Amino acid sequence: MTELLLQTCVNAVYASSFMALIAVGLMLIFGVMGVVNFAHGELFMLGAYCVVFVYADRDFPFFLAVMIGLVFVGVLGILMERALFRPVRDNPLAGLIASIGLLLMLQAAVAMGFGVRMEHINPPNQATFHPFGLEGVVVALQRLYVIIGAGVVLASLWVFLRRTRFGWALRACAQDPEAAALQGISINQTARLAMFIAAAMAGLAGALAAPLVRTYPYMGHSVIVTAFIVTIVGGLGSLGGAVTAAVLYGFVHTFVTTFSDGVIADIVGLLLMLLVLVARPTGLLGVRDRD
Amino acid sequence: MSQQLHQKKIGRRTFLGATVAGAALAGGLAPARVSAADRTVRIGFLAPLTGEVAAWGLPGLYGCQIWAEKVNAAGGVRIGDDTCTFEFVSYDNEYAPEKARAGATKLIFEDEVKFIMMLGGDTWPAVQPIANKSGMLVSTLLPSDLSPDTPTLIAPCEVHPIYNVTGVWWLADNMPDLKSAVICAQDDALGRPSVATYLAAFEAHGIEVRDTVFFDLSTTDFAPVMTKMLSSNPDVLCLDTAYADFVHPLCEQAYQQGFKGKIISCTADFYEKIIEKTSKEFMEGFIFQFPDFDDPALNEPQINFAEPNEFYTEYSQRWPGEWSAVSWEYASIMDLWVQGAQRVGSVEPQDVLPGMKQGGTGKHAFGDASWWGKELFGIDNALVGNWPVVVIENGKAVIKEYRSIPEWWSMHGELLVKHFTEMGEMYHQRG
Amino acid sequence: MVSAWGSRGAFVGLFAGLIVLPHLLSFSQKEVAVFLVINVLVVVSYRLLTLTGEWSLAHVVITGVGAYASTLLAKRLGVPVPVAMPLGAAVAALTAYVLSFPLFRMKAFYFLIGSFAAGEVIRLCWKRFREPFGGPKGIKLIPSVPDIDIGIVDVAFFDPVNYYYLCLVVVTASVVVLRRLEQSRIGLTFHAIHWQDKLAESVGVDTRRYRTLAFVIASFFGGLAGALLAHYLGTVNPNQFDVESMVYVLVWVIVGGTATIYGPILGVVALTVVNEIVLRELGVDQARPLIYGAILIASILFLPDGLESLGPKMKRAFVRARERSDRGGTRG
Repeated sequence: MTELLLQTCVNAVYASSFMALIAVGLMLIFGVMGVVNFAHGELFMLGAYCVVFVYADRDFPFFLAVMIGLVFVGVLGILMERALFRPVRDNPLAGLIASIGLLLMLQAAVAMGFGVRMEHINPPNQATFHPFGLEGVVVALQRLYVIIGAGVVLASLWVFLRRTRFGWALRACAQDPEAAALQGISINQTARLAMFIAAAMAGLAGALAAPLVRTYPYMGHSVIVTAFIVTIVGGLGSLGGAVTAAVLYGFVHTFVTTFSDGVIADIVGLLLMLLVLVARPTGLLGVRDRD
Repeated sequence: MSQQLHQKKIGRRTFLGATVAGAALAGGLAPARVSAADRTVRIGFLAPLTGEVAAWGLPGLYGCQIWAEKVNAAGGVRIGDDTCTFEFVSYDNEYAPEKARAGATKLIFEDEVKFIMMLGGDTWPAVQPIANKSGMLVSTLLPSDLSPDTPTLIAPCEVHPIYNVTGVWWLADNMPDLKSAVICAQDDALGRPSVATYLAAFEAHGIEVRDTVFFDLSTTDFAPVMTKMLSSNPDVLCLDTAYADFVHPLCEQAYQQGFKGKIISCTADFYEKIIEKTSKEFMEGFIFQFPDFDDPALNEPQINFAEPNEFYTEYSQRWPGEWSAVSWEYASIMDLWVQGAQRVGSVEPQDVLPGMKQGGTGKHAFGDASWWGKELFGIDNALVGNWPVVVIENGKAVIKEYRSIPEWWSMHGELLVKHFTEMGEMYHQRG
Repeated sequence: MVSAWGSRGAFVGLFAGLIVLPHLLSFSQKEVAVFLVINVLVVVSYRLLTLTGEWSLAHVVITGVGAYASTLLAKRLGVPVPVAMPLGAAVAALTAYVLSFPLFRMKAFYFLIGSFAAGEVIRLCWKRFREPFGGPKGIKLIPSVPDIDIGIVDVAFFDPVNYYYLCLVVVTASVVVLRRLEQSRIGLTFHAIHWQDKLAESVGVDTRRYRTLAFVIASFFGGLAGALLAHYLGTVNPNQFDVESMVYVLVWVIVGGTATIYGPILGVVALTVVNEIVLRELGVDQARPLIYGAILIASILFLPDGLESLGPKMKRAFVRARERSDRGGTRG
């Protein structure tokens, strides 16, 4: 029983890290640009397909593929900001539609280029180990990559947001864009940066998790629903909030899946998130609503 | 590798060209019927070609394309007094009922197809009233769509999930020391009846089922599911009719979390990739139900699928890595349809159905079979006979044996009915 | 006065066109027309909710509540279909009322995502609880609207043309009601809440009550649309009401524009014709979503205020007609 509990904890830590990488990016886009980026799941999908293209199909090293995924998707994020979100900045609904249009295009393009079936990606290293020397608890190295990747990225992002001028501008824009503009912060520059970071994080999550999840053209669909909810429960403009919400959701969902079943876990997870929102209508650590 | 990709691209482009041409023909440019002796018969393909469920439709359309090219290149087939060539008209229903309804209307009344092949499932109930009123003959891959209210719906190829009993039967005969199992399944139209079937089969062969774990279709991480399954220490893991996309991560998790027993599953598409992710030793003895079509056992005389090895080679050349169960199933349904049409010398839906069911038998891909289903589906519109038991040996899927589904049914039929009833999957409980 | 007559003439013309329309369509286009008319009700009801400034992502699930409720009433309890439909709509409205308590504690993005979560919970319950919702496969063989057969008049609602007319009547009546409502004092208050939330509160408007009212009324008509769909299609399942369908509703409404009641109608008609008729005729198969996505992006970049803003002339004509009929009721 202890081993089962520990194994479930390990599973939950992975689920939380994975979710945090995606949710924090969404939060940044939400916060800085006020755009509900429906195509965020597709950015995640593109990260995974970078690994398919570079690593699985062409046998380049896995971590090179991950780096390419991160940069490629990040740059795509910058392009999205410039071409889609900037022209309609005053109109968040237009941004939403633009992201939906992009989502459909990316799905169809990948389906036509790579086929509709799932891709097969072998993890670069199949090693597993048993923490604390327990026979019944196992961690795969590939999962550890995701956990470590998320930890490193989130920690550096936290430092970045606290310590640099860019980070300060980013937080200012998230809290009050007009006041930020008055302070001489370039909204364009900040938005571009936020979009790069957010997209790159989604790309990283997709690339690192590609050997672990179903990699197929419509995979974005399965993460976007939860990611949105985790993001908002954390509260707009709060990195800590998004991470807390991801961990909360990850643990509750994993434990309920293990001890009850998956659909019940979805329902319980959502109800819990709703409950948080009812108790704290602006999220766990959210700043005041910007309307 | 790059050469392979190159081929893949060219193949896809030629295919798109062909479909565009096909659609142009369907759009009104079709030449007037040349003569009674030489006609083109249109067949409707109403399945998801885009979206989440596309993997269950699109590969089948590719298979049909190969089938049609082969038949047409041979000058067509003789049905009655006519020599018929074939043209497939596809309609992407996106697995949405209302689009399936509009699509069925288009195929029946505008394209004047003689037969419609569907995936079935969510989309069938919306097509049902139209099929009933127009008398259109429709095929499904999911016999759970069958009921007494569906006189023109047939399941001529895959009587999912009944054939799964053959795997358990073989397992019990050949590995008698395996005494307990855990089942997992996605909670959907494929998963649930399949669970009922496995429960019946395990009970029939004295294997104790310790747990049944359902997971949602949107599950991305299978570690918790596997942790739960392994917590009851089974000898056998039963993956039910998990989609290929789920079989892979489930096997990988079973391997990582240290499972040492046997695995049985309905499908194992791309199993060589699972072996890469786990190990040859781990996958040794994995039992499933869908052979590779390059298997020499498919050349045995009782097999009715024409030139299976050539079909497999052709398919793999055009669409490398895309081979799966649905690749051949729609094409095999076409064989059965042609056979039915030839028996009565007509291509009209109302004639072909009795033609197909003539004598209560049909030449199923895996051998002669009989029309059956009254006890389970309320109507004898499913074609059952032998089904192969496939086992992975030394990294390659091998057909071990063909086992007879009707024979199993005559021994343990009441168990199947019992478990179908308990799961609420009997035809009179559905709906 | 002349222009009022002119606009009345235009309406009569439009109506005549809508009545003749199904006879000009091919078989499958008739089917598309039925679903299109039902979707018009979905988007128009959705717009009512957005008048107060709140965007919900639960609307499609709410239409599903109407569909499921009407289905269960007709199939399990034997309620006649014409009675079950409005009852189903009422259940949808009631559901919205219950949801309004937790949801209207939130605002803006929080409301958007909160409603999403609430909708998903409902949808997952349909999936999980096979009794009475039928589980992932949903419910099939739903009773259809009874045929009218009195002597010379014999109307079978299996026929898409007849069902199209039935939907046209129901939807037109609903649109008229919703339009009247928007022009009434209640509707003006909705607008006021959208633009001057705090001000409205300071003059004693209970904004939450009005938001709830908009949500409940929108849900009633949404539920009615769901019921119309269910009894025609003969089947409901949880996948029909998933996020993807909600995304399509959002797309129709926003691409059409929300300033007037015509915007969403324009959006749903134009995009459905493009996606279901034009692109299918072109036979582009797998590339269909690609082109559709590109059209969405182009339309939102070039017409950020929606299709309804297309052609300044047309817009001015609209505004002139509107200024006469409702003083100061415009938004945006």
